[in-house]
Amino acid sequence: MIRLYSLCLALLCAAPALGQELTVRVTNGSGEPVAQAVISVPGSLPAIAADVTYEMAQQGLQFDPFVLVVPRGANVVFPNRDRVRHHVYSFARGNAFELELYGREQERSVQFDAEGNVPIGCNIHDNMIAFIRVVETPHAAVTDSNGQAVLTGLTGARGPVTVWHPYADAADNQVSIDWPDGTSELDVILDVHGRR
Amino acid sequence: MMIRHLLLSGLAAACLTAGALAQSHPPHAQPGELEVDPYTVSNTNAGASPIEDPSVYAAFGGEAGIARVVDGLLERVQQDERIEGIFRASDWPRLRRTLNEQFCYVLGGPCQYTGRDMASVHADHGITTREFNALVENLQDAMDAEGIPFALQNRLLARLAPMHRDVVTR
Repeated sequence: MIRLYSLCLALLCAAPALGQELTVRVTNGSGEPVAQAVISVPGSLPAIAADVTYEMAQQGLQFDPFVLVVPRGANVVFPNRDRVRHHVYSFARGNAFELELYGREQERSVQFDAEGNVPIGCNIHDNMIAFIRVVETPHAAVTDSNGQAVLTGLTGARGPVTVWHPYADAADNQVSIDWPDGTSELDVILDVHGRR
Repeated sequence: MMIRHLLLSGLAAACLTAGALAQSHPPHAQPGELEVDPYTVSNTNAGASPIEDPSVYAAFGGEAGIARVVDGLLERVQQDERIEGIFRASDWPRLRRTLNEQFCYVLGGPCQYTGRDMASVHADHGITTREFNALVENLQDAMDAEGIPFALQNRLLARLAPMHRDVVTR
């Protein structure tokens, strides 16, 4: 019995000792999952790997994904999978751009050099809206339809967990939550208004 | 020239027959055409009623003459940097076929128009008046190249001009 207890303890301790993963579940005040929220933990950004590609597609007159998180300096490709043209733009400070993308044009990309949020629209199709969040950390992920995201490789990472959603009812659309040592799961409540 | 432009402002409509993602080949589709979403085939989709004076269709050279005008138009559009981008992902076989049908029908020829209506065809392309007018200029040039008299060109353009309101959305 004592041995079993010890074993359990050891297992419990194993997770924090490895310290590598953090699962965050985001729900609203009614307990419903909040998808498309960006979870991040501070960290130092390594050089951007050239072979990592990020994508903000246009398909069916919508952007896909609705929320994309990328490390600062990343290149994001904007493939147009529609047969009509798109005129994609953002006025975000430090990350402003515009791309006129013809139907089925697949190849053009934009580099995002400033940390911050980049709201994206289309000059032709007003209903097309998406967000790219440019972060200064390698530890970031977007919640899935269950409101869940997993951060990995967190060994040595410190500082609070930030949860951001473009339509969050919070200052700067985000909340920051302490992440006690040894925590491998975290529940966060974030109310979100409007679409999605 | 100015008046001519005003008259012409209709034509662009016909040309933007790019397909949306689609479900089936209508029975009138030719090999090489992409699938389109289902729609009701009707000559009213042509967006204009036929010219009843048979001399106009004759002056255009019948179906063969119309085919040359359409070829000339599409060739010019592909080289016109103001608007060629709109057409890059278009279904060119279908565009060419439905334009021939539309011109033939509107000119009073023995043709049925089997394409979609002008508003549906142009929806989501975000076409501006400037782009519409650029297409009209290309059509004028194509008709000039076929030696179609100015007055008869304008008979066609007058029918096509009202399509402006279904084509231009920006």
